[in-house]
Amino acid sequence: MKKILTILLAVVLSAVTINASATDNGGEQGKIDTKAIIFEHLGDRYGWEVPFCHSLSIPLPIIVRDYEGGWHIFSSSRLAHEAEYDGFSIAAEGANHGKVVGMRPDASGAMVEYRPFDISITKNVAALIICAIVVMLCVFSVKRWYTNHGMKAPRKWTAAIELVVEFVYMGVIRPTLGAKAPKFAPYLLTVFFFILTMNLLGLVVIFPGGANLTGNIAVTMVLAIFTFLITNLFGSKHYWKDIFWPEVPIWLKFPIPIMPMIEVFGIFTKPAALMVRLFANMMGGHMIVIVLTLLIFIFAALGGIAVGAGTTVVSVAFSLFMLLLDTLVSFIQAFVFTMLSTLFISLAQAPAEHE
Amino acid sequence: MELFTPEFGLVFWMFVVFALLFFILAKYAWPFIVKSLEERADLIDKGVLYAQNAKEQLDNAKAEAEKYIAEAQMKQAEILREAAKMKSQIIEDAKSSASVEAKKVMDAAKLAIEQARKESELQFRNEVSAFALSIAEKMVRKNMAGDKAQTELVDKLLNEVEIKN
Repeated sequence: MKKILTILLAVVLSAVTINASATDNGGEQGKIDTKAIIFEHLGDRYGWEVPFCHSLSIPLPIIVRDYEGGWHIFSSSRLAHEAEYDGFSIAAEGANHGKVVGMRPDASGAMVEYRPFDISITKNVAALIICAIVVMLCVFSVKRWYTNHGMKAPRKWTAAIELVVEFVYMGVIRPTLGAKAPKFAPYLLTVFFFILTMNLLGLVVIFPGGANLTGNIAVTMVLAIFTFLITNLFGSKHYWKDIFWPEVPIWLKFPIPIMPMIEVFGIFTKPAALMVRLFANMMGGHMIVIVLTLLIFIFAALGGIAVGAGTTVVSVAFSLFMLLLDTLVSFIQAFVFTMLSTLFISLAQAPAEHE
Repeated sequence: MELFTPEFGLVFWMFVVFALLFFILAKYAWPFIVKSLEERADLIDKGVLYAQNAKEQLDNAKAEAEKYIAEAQMKQAEILREAAKMKSQIIEDAKSSASVEAKKVMDAAKLAIEQARKESELQFRNEVSAFALSIAEKMVRKNMAGDKAQTELVDKLLNEVEIKN
């Protein structure tokens, strides 16, 4: 096993070094735009890149509505290599960098660039759908087991999924929510598995993974909004009373409602914290790995192949460590999101006599 | 910075995908799985309890069986003892009744023997007296013929008696 690992490491190292030297010989010395590379990898894009091949990508549908209200659906491969199709192209620079843009006449009649209404199936959207399918397969495998085998203990993969379900349900949801656990468990378990799958698939570098989903604020925002809605829509009378008329000295809530204001503010900060925590953690993890990998090229550009090769060893070791750490973080963040959602929901469920 | 400004398309699709996923799982999978989890936990708890009870009962049953066996053994010993007693009693009874019977038979036999002896004595006396009479008669008759003849006669008669006896 150790031998295999050593050989694998050597192959990876040599490949990376050759790549670095290729860049070096290409005359692009010192021209590595780290910021662009990092954001390209963290961000969304049309089409899904094929590993080891920059010019090819798996085409995905682009769905846009132009300024006149007409819908356009076409393959992202038509816009590859800065091509234009149907009046649309991908902006190379500016505020809409990397997005589909069209041209339209402004008031004076001159053509200006504009951003159409864009609900394309981008790389992130495709990854979302893949994640959802993976989650469904996992969850339904457990359900199928119960239907087919009754109360027997599951085996293999199903058992692993069931273990996680039990870990989250018996460990967090039921102790926190008590009798109301079955009512909210579906949402919380869905959130947990979806985040976990997105996190873990994000760490896989090639096709089915590699999308920085939970490190994208749009994704975490939607999740946080769901938690916000469920927390507040199912909030008990006591929860609302505690917000607008908390049990504090009267001067704190009348005539200036200091405490109610703080409480109302708290309603929004709780999901916002959820959103930012997951987003920052996952994006940070991805960014560190990319930066560590980029260090190889930066040092190779600065000091030549020897320095680059030396950095490679260190970088790959650190990247490996960071990826392992990210695997742990993937689970922890999914768990933390679920745990805090459970907590917020249970706080909003507090009965009057609970205090 | 694109990363910090949510893209509408992604928000829209995330909403759709998550809502769909949530709807499907919440409707078809989670309630069933959660219920099954709880049921199985209950089942296992019950199973453990049942096993404990069963073990207890088994232990009890063993103790009870041992008790029964001991009791049975005691009864057996008692019965055996009684049987032995009864046996000796029966033998004793038989012995005593047998001796009584034997005594009766012996007494009867003695009586019969005594009677027979008396009878024979009587008969013998009668016969002796008859002989004595006949001897005396013959002696009386021979008296007439001399002493010698008388003595011979007596001898002769006595011989006759001896032969007769």
